[in-house]
Amino acid sequence: MNVRFDFIMHWLWTIVFAILALSGLAMVGPRYGWILVYDIAAADFVHRVLAAVFVLLTSVSVAYEIMRSVKADSKKLTWFIIGKSGYQLFTLITTLIFIVTGVIIWVCMDSNMAATAFSLYIHEKLTYIVIASLIWHIYMKAHALLWPKPSSGIASKAKSKEGEVVSKGGKAL
Amino acid sequence: MMQRPWFKVFIWFAGTVFFFMASAALISYFGPVPTEAQVMAYMAGMMAAMENSLMGLSMSLEGDSQLKGLIAQIASVTVPLIFVGIGFGVLVRIRRSRID
Repeated sequence: MNVRFDFIMHWLWTIVFAILALSGLAMVGPRYGWILVYDIAAADFVHRVLAAVFVLLTSVSVAYEIMRSVKADSKKLTWFIIGKSGYQLFTLITTLIFIVTGVIIWVCMDSNMAATAFSLYIHEKLTYIVIASLIWHIYMKAHALLWPKPSSGIASKAKSKEGEVVSKGGKAL
Repeated sequence: MMQRPWFKVFIWFAGTVFFFMASAALISYFGPVPTEAQVMAYMAGMMAAMENSLMGLSMSLEGDSQLKGLIAQIASVTVPLIFVGIGFGVLVRIRRSRID
């Protein structure tokens, strides 16, 4: 089975971001606490541990892109989380803002309240924007949710590579 | 991979999680003002986080044994994850180079 690197990164990032967003939302305030049954301690722990994984995944992705640039590899990685245009660029920018504001919140919590408050505001509002964008992203890629038809299953398997499926318009997903 | 039934189930699950998240954010943001019980539950949760989680421990002194224990606990999760990630990455590279 040949599963592409960008495909793995895409879904790893999805899982990590989903848990980070859920645990983060639960900590926003009393209105949001019900999301994790007011277990703020667990949410805080999970959020911080997975934040490290999130930074690691982003670092690996950025390093991979740099490596590709050095090698002058211009091949489009359809599944990759970051890139030079479109939703990949949006993800890169928002991810970097998340990381920077997250580090400020973590480091400055007991020393610089102004910086912490500002970063918390950006971190929270950006979460709403990214969640809304993800709904749009899921809508645009909704064909991935279609269950494969048993009759055309063999043909589509033969046509598509692992980690890549061809849509009706012939565009790689 | 995308044609595997189990992966389709996973995609459906992941998609549903994001829709739940968006709904939860909307309900919380535009919902009624939290009751006193909800505020108390949240505050209690915050206090528990201050005592048991990284939130409070990050504000403690470096000599705190509880802090050291927690860092060791986190490291025990993240360090293997890093090595598993590196190992998996190397495996993917080797497999790809064999195919190419």
